[in-house]
Amino acid sequence: MKKARITCGVDIGARSIDIILFDGRKIIDSIVINTGAKPRERALSAYQNLLVKNGIRKNKLLKTVSTGYGRNHFTDADEAISEIACHAAGVAYYFPDAELVIDIGGQDSKVIGMLPGGKVVDFGMNDRCAAGTGRFIEMVSDILDIKIEDISKMSFRKVSGCEINSMCAVFAESEIVGLLQNDVPVEKLLKGVFVSVAKRVVSLMGKSFSSREIIFTGGVAMINGVAEALEQETESRITVPSNPQITGALGAAILAGKR
Amino acid sequence: MKTQDPFKYFRDAIDYELEFVEKEKSRGRKIVGIYCEYTPREIILAAGAIPVCLCGTSNSTVAAAEKILPSNLCPLIKSSFGYFITDSCPFITMSDLIVAETTCDGKKKMYEIMGQRKHVEVLELTQKSDSALSLKHWVDELRKFRKTLEREFKVKITDSDLRRAIKLMNRERALLRKAFDLGMRNPSIVTGLELALIRFRVAGFEKHLEMLEKFISDVEKRGKSRKKPGGPRILLTGCPTGSGSGKVIEIIEECGGVVVVQEACSGIKSVYELTEEKGDPIEAIARRHFHLPCSCLTPNRGRIELIAKLAEDFRPDAVIDLIWQACHTYNVESHIVGEFVKNRLKLPFLKVETDYSPSDREQLKVRISALLEIAGK
Ligand code: SF4
Ligand code: SF4
Repeated sequence: MKKARITCGVDIGARSIDIILFDGRKIIDSIVINTGAKPRERALSAYQNLLVKNGIRKNKLLKTVSTGYGRNHFTDADEAISEIACHAAGVAYYFPDAELVIDIGGQDSKVIGMLPGGKVVDFGMNDRCAAGTGRFIEMVSDILDIKIEDISKMSFRKVSGCEINSMCAVFAESEIVGLLQNDVPVEKLLKGVFVSVAKRVVSLMGKSFSSREIIFTGGVAMINGVAEALEQETESRITVPSNPQITGALGAAILAGKR
Repeated sequence: MKTQDPFKYFRDAIDYELEFVEKEKSRGRKIVGIYCEYTPREIILAAGAIPVCLCGTSNSTVAAAEKILPSNLCPLIKSSFGYFITDSCPFITMSDLIVAETTCDGKKKMYEIMGQRKHVEVLELTQKSDSALSLKHWVDELRKFRKTLEREFKVKITDSDLRRAIKLMNRERALLRKAFDLGMRNPSIVTGLELALIRFRVAGFEKHLEMLEKFISDVEKRGKSRKKPGGPRILLTGCPTGSGSGKVIEIIEECGGVVVVQEACSGIKSVYELTEEKGDPIEAIARRHFHLPCSCLTPNRGRIELIAKLAEDFRPDAVIDLIWQACHTYNVESHIVGEFVKNRLKLPFLKVETDYSPSDREQLKVRISALLEIAGK
């Protein structure tokens, strides 16, 4: 048997832990679990289980790279790399010519400008505020008492959204409650929320970012309405990879093979 | 408790300063509290008084300040004000007078509230950096200030007193500059955190100058054996930091970078230019201070020129612009700085907006390590 070049990427995010085994060309296996209260322990046992399941001993792995908020606490990793670099590398795997990535996760959103091949040249990230992140959409779905899965596949292309002006997630919440009391239809409201998230993210882009095609990743990329709103705000084509949640872990595994 | 280790000395500098100021105060010397690099320390020293910087650099007094001040204000202002109203800084208690300038709006209005409790003397800093009229007004303010000090402290400030004070401050600034210039070495021989230690509060304190000399020679000696290159070299610009508000420097260096030069007032900016020792001393003092490229001035071309010069001398791999939350002048100016760094210096640039609390450390780490990854390639 040829010497294996199997690497592992572990992305410990605020909402989920994603782990990928990669053989240098394709994904061998992957797992996505909730982060929970003890991320370090959960990540470690998921990592070990994944190795066992695939019959790979740890010392046969070329390298393990961790990324995400918990990256520095995952002691089994050989190196920790920022999620910015990992996302870029993960996206470049599917889209080698991509120049611009928008990633909206549970807790933060980022815009990454890169060269073909995945080298990061510039990036923008949201500040402390939750507006413009998945958390904000979750809050809204709680208020409306609608499950995210139920709105994810709906199209809002024909709906004109209502204006949401608050710059802060908490104030936006009260603004939405007010709009509901004024009998604003739910679709208009959701569209308004998606557009406000999109606007937020676009404001991170600055002048230096522009591209005809934007790759949209992160958990929020699974919500159709947000992709539509981004298309409208950026006037670019928005492409969502088939599994937009795991690009960070995939990038970590890819970079593990390169360093 | 006399230490000969300059690193230890500067870590404990506040204890030595307190001891010194208490002693001088009991001998009848006046203490003058200041909050800004525009304050003409020379005139205060010439009046026989001791200038002490009271800038708040700790998160611990922010909550107290927020009882009176709005919470979306810069942490430097809130921390400073917190010390003031809780009376928890012995230097404030000992101050006979506080000198302030019309710099940013937050500070300006804070001084009015402080003025209700203590004698605060406000100097009007004119803000058009390229106007002769502005400079002339500032010169007049300083002449008036000289008279105010003479009256308040019942002293006579002669021109030769002023010249002596200029010489003393120049010696201090030149030594600080020499220490900061150690950051030019590549591979680096001193960290940004070490250089942050030497920004003391009390001006014209002989012991500090002695230890500064020792600091410089110790770092140089240690540096002879350093061969391996450190991580990416960072030029840090923007708002001032201090002991307790060095979060961003800490994170940069934890993530593997090294802050080779800090452009801010807490770094090289405030010691970059010396005061001329010839000619009319007040005019010389006014000119030097007026040349300080703070974002409160408009336009603030001097800052871009300084960054360009520092980039040439210190060879940074990236530039980070630190903005204290709600500091509008630095925040807005960041756009101009960022464009210059990216387009002209062709260096990666990151603006970091934060406050004194540790709550966003993890978020900052992501951003900063991503920047270091870009810069390191
Ligand atoms: S940054 Fe401006 S306002 Fe602050 S100390 Fe420096 S000169 Fe004064
Ligand atoms: S950091 Fe900005 S807002 Fe704060 S005191 Fe200095 S100039 Fe004013």
